[in-house]
Amino acid sequence: LHWYKDAVIYELPVKSFCDGNADGIGDFQGLSERLDYLQALGVTCLWLLPFFPSPLKDDGYDIADYTSVHPSYGNLEDFKQFLGEAHARGLKVLIELVLNHTSDQHPWFQRARAAPPGSVEREFYVWSDTDELYRDARIIFVDTERSNWTWDPVAKAYYWHRFFQHQPDLNYDNPVVLREVLAALDFWLDLGVDGFRLDAVPYLVERDRTSCENLPETHALIRTIRRHIDEKAPGCLLLAEANQLPADVCAYFGQGDECHMAYHFPVMPRIFMGLHLEDREPITEVMERTPAIPDSCQWALFLRNHDELTLEMVTDDERDYMYLAYSLDPQARLNVGIRRRLAPLVGNSRRRIELLVGLLFSFPGTPIIYYGDEIGMGDNLYLGDRNGVRTPMQWTGDRNAGFSRADPARLYSPIIMDPVYGYQAVNVESEESDAASLLQWMRNMIRMRKLFKVFGRGTIEFLQPSNHKVLAYVRRYRGDVILCVANLARTVQPAELDLRAFEGMVPVEMLGYTEFPGIGTLPYFLTLGPYGFYWFELQRSRG
Amino acid sequence: MASTGSNSSAPAADAATTRADILVALTSHNDARTVGGVVRAVAGGLSQYFGDLSAQVVLADGGSTDATREAAREALGGAGLVELEYPLQPALADVPYHGHPHRARAVRAAFQEAARLEARACVLLDASLNAVEPAWVGRLIGPVLAGRAEFVGAHFVRHVHEGALTKGIVYPVFRALYGVRLRQPASSEFGCSARVAASCLEQDFWETELAPSGIDLWVTTTAVSSGYGVCEAALGPRQAAAREAATDLSTTLAQVVGALFTDLDHRVDIWQRVRGSTPVPLVGEDPDAGSDVRPMAIEGLIESFRLGYRELREIWTWVLPPRAIVELRRLAAAPPEQFRFDDRLWASVIYDFAFGFSQRVMPRSQLLRSLTPLYSGWLASFVQELRHATQAEIEARVERLCQGFEAEKRHLISRWRWPEKLR
Repeated sequence: LHWYKDAVIYELPVKSFCDGNADGIGDFQGLSERLDYLQALGVTCLWLLPFFPSPLKDDGYDIADYTSVHPSYGNLEDFKQFLGEAHARGLKVLIELVLNHTSDQHPWFQRARAAPPGSVEREFYVWSDTDELYRDARIIFVDTERSNWTWDPVAKAYYWHRFFQHQPDLNYDNPVVLREVLAALDFWLDLGVDGFRLDAVPYLVERDRTSCENLPETHALIRTIRRHIDEKAPGCLLLAEANQLPADVCAYFGQGDECHMAYHFPVMPRIFMGLHLEDREPITEVMERTPAIPDSCQWALFLRNHDELTLEMVTDDERDYMYLAYSLDPQARLNVGIRRRLAPLVGNSRRRIELLVGLLFSFPGTPIIYYGDEIGMGDNLYLGDRNGVRTPMQWTGDRNAGFSRADPARLYSPIIMDPVYGYQAVNVESEESDAASLLQWMRNMIRMRKLFKVFGRGTIEFLQPSNHKVLAYVRRYRGDVILCVANLARTVQPAELDLRAFEGMVPVEMLGYTEFPGIGTLPYFLTLGPYGFYWFELQRSRG
Repeated sequence: MASTGSNSSAPAADAATTRADILVALTSHNDARTVGGVVRAVAGGLSQYFGDLSAQVVLADGGSTDATREAAREALGGAGLVELEYPLQPALADVPYHGHPHRARAVRAAFQEAARLEARACVLLDASLNAVEPAWVGRLIGPVLAGRAEFVGAHFVRHVHEGALTKGIVYPVFRALYGVRLRQPASSEFGCSARVAASCLEQDFWETELAPSGIDLWVTTTAVSSGYGVCEAALGPRQAAAREAATDLSTTLAQVVGALFTDLDHRVDIWQRVRGSTPVPLVGEDPDAGSDVRPMAIEGLIESFRLGYRELREIWTWVLPPRAIVELRRLAAAPPEQFRFDDRLWASVIYDFAFGFSQRVMPRSQLLRSLTPLYSGWLASFVQELRHATQAEIEARVERLCQGFEAEKRHLISRWRWPEKLR
């Protein structure tokens, strides 16, 4: 029950992972060949970025056919084989369901723009004679779009798009649209996928004089989809992408009758902020502002993903701080965020990476690992849009990083080649053979995380040590009580913890299973190395 | 004897209408010489201890080619034996150490029959035993029916070198891992409740590779790790007729220890949370084991260990840390009279092999077979130390060994949780 609470999710773009047919683009054949690697890494669920037919103007989020596979990545048979092999290894598979919009190349849109106004075909999308409607809706991609309306000369009307102008929004006021979307969902359910990531869910329905975000009609629509899923495939996961404040995101859980999971967007930039400030306050503040969620629901946590490190949900001051702290190079900024991978964000500091992963794995929620971050891959700021964090996976130090046997000029993207993060320095093969590599460390951390359901299912209480550079919290689930202590500073720090509630118990450091002195009535004293973190099981004393 | 509710010639279809309070299942494979005695003891025990309850005796025969079935029917006097039919196991590469190649399926068939009959208690006995007492039935069933326990393990009296694999590996590891002091966790004889049988039927181990040799241990670990109350029944000495079985030590060791390690791999979240161990109640009293036992020659065992050190040291370095290898070198060089295998070293060796088994550092059968000389070394040390010991002294020594395993458990957990990359 609720398998997603114990999952460790691995996010990957099919095109970037492994090229099986030597055409320079990753595909399902290549991905299938690398499933053993993913199984050995210990992750339990794969989240595939869009792999559907698409003009690829937004990396596949501009879908032109919901029920097929982009020919660059293989065909449906390849997908089925991949799915079967993933399931045989105990890996669940989560795919994208882009509900809000399609590509302007989708047959629905081509049909709509030519159809008479008011017809069912036309009403698949949102049209207007003016660009004045829904003026209170913000523009999301401020770097590229000036309006949410674009004039279509064929339809002789404006069409609505919350994202790029080549992504017209579907019109869910037309019941036929939902019927068609559910048919697409059924298609993948019948093949056996284990869940869907619902892209851009806050924007599904538009109403004038509103922000057109998080509307009651949108929630009603999600409840309908959830009921459909529960009837057709109980246990299938719905993960909401709603880049909103926690209180608004919570609405996407409903009463446990909307999405099973939703991303906790605000915690991620605040973790980075707390790290740079060497102060726990930004982290504890956002966690304490996070409302409770229904028992059956779960937060999805991540450090980095395929998009920029979004700063939409922080204050202006916080955003300025983050830009100064993490993107002095203006090339790193995109839209309202920072387009960098994990390792470059933290100056390639192994200790900082470990601390951040330690926090990710011990906060309440299900962690998502972005492909390549487990080996400390870098990025390329000089590739457009967010392509700099979507470069080929670095498997070996050989040609094309072992990603593809194609002529290097055919690769969909250049390989990272700089001396610090380049494929000859950072790759799976070398880290496999290095007992102290980040990859080996990540495997162990995933192993530990899976051993203790408390991390995915337990409660959290923050302690208040006087040293603000120290973050300490207690996780509890059934009989397990786990104390987590982290040093956010680059220097050694002392911590005095008020553990009187656990008097008589013995902290056992979880990674090495080392027993520490018992807890008494006095403050419990610990010394933490630079960026050090400890996880302790609090066990009853033997006597 | 108790009412049985069906007769010996009743096919399964007729039996489908019956219910029974007790199910006694005999597992047999070419046991014509002994099965009659077991059946008679069971019948006597049921009559003596549970005369007012309904009971069903079933035979789960594993394709005997002798007159086992006929002997069983004859022994029960045509009153009440049901013969379970179940699909036999495809041929195995190695005959299990206990000589019953279809044992896992036989046990499952017995549990399924118990569920069908809605039996409150279920007892399994191996038909190769040639000294079963009626009291066994009372002791294995009584605690379950009285609600004092849901699993009753067998407690046999054994001389120093009898059941040494249990004394030296199975019992100490089982006890340290699950915190329950059940002396013979892999015994073919046990009693259990309907709930334990049902829990076992829900497990997915029945058709796995090591099930024929490991099923009894896995039933026990299922009962213990599910939190059911357990106790032991004092059954005296265990005397069984020899079947065609794995005769070489390496094969037996690989089967028994392989089953133990396999189970350990599947119950990590349970055993890593258990601290210490608790004794379990013993039903009945152990008789004196007597001193009529042939002394065991240990020179061959020591030589086997030394040969193993010379020939297999390279393999051992795949799982054992340098410190252990150095200690083993010292041991290999020790004169026979000073040959002592330290408890802590032995416990860490077993745990390191368990970890290596889990990590699949090499083919598992190869790894397990390389344990044989180490076990020989430990056995030589154990027998030499206890050559003239009384039963109580043997028990005390096993207790100290178990404490060593419990103390070293943190070593296993530590390696398991944060594995250093092995070669």
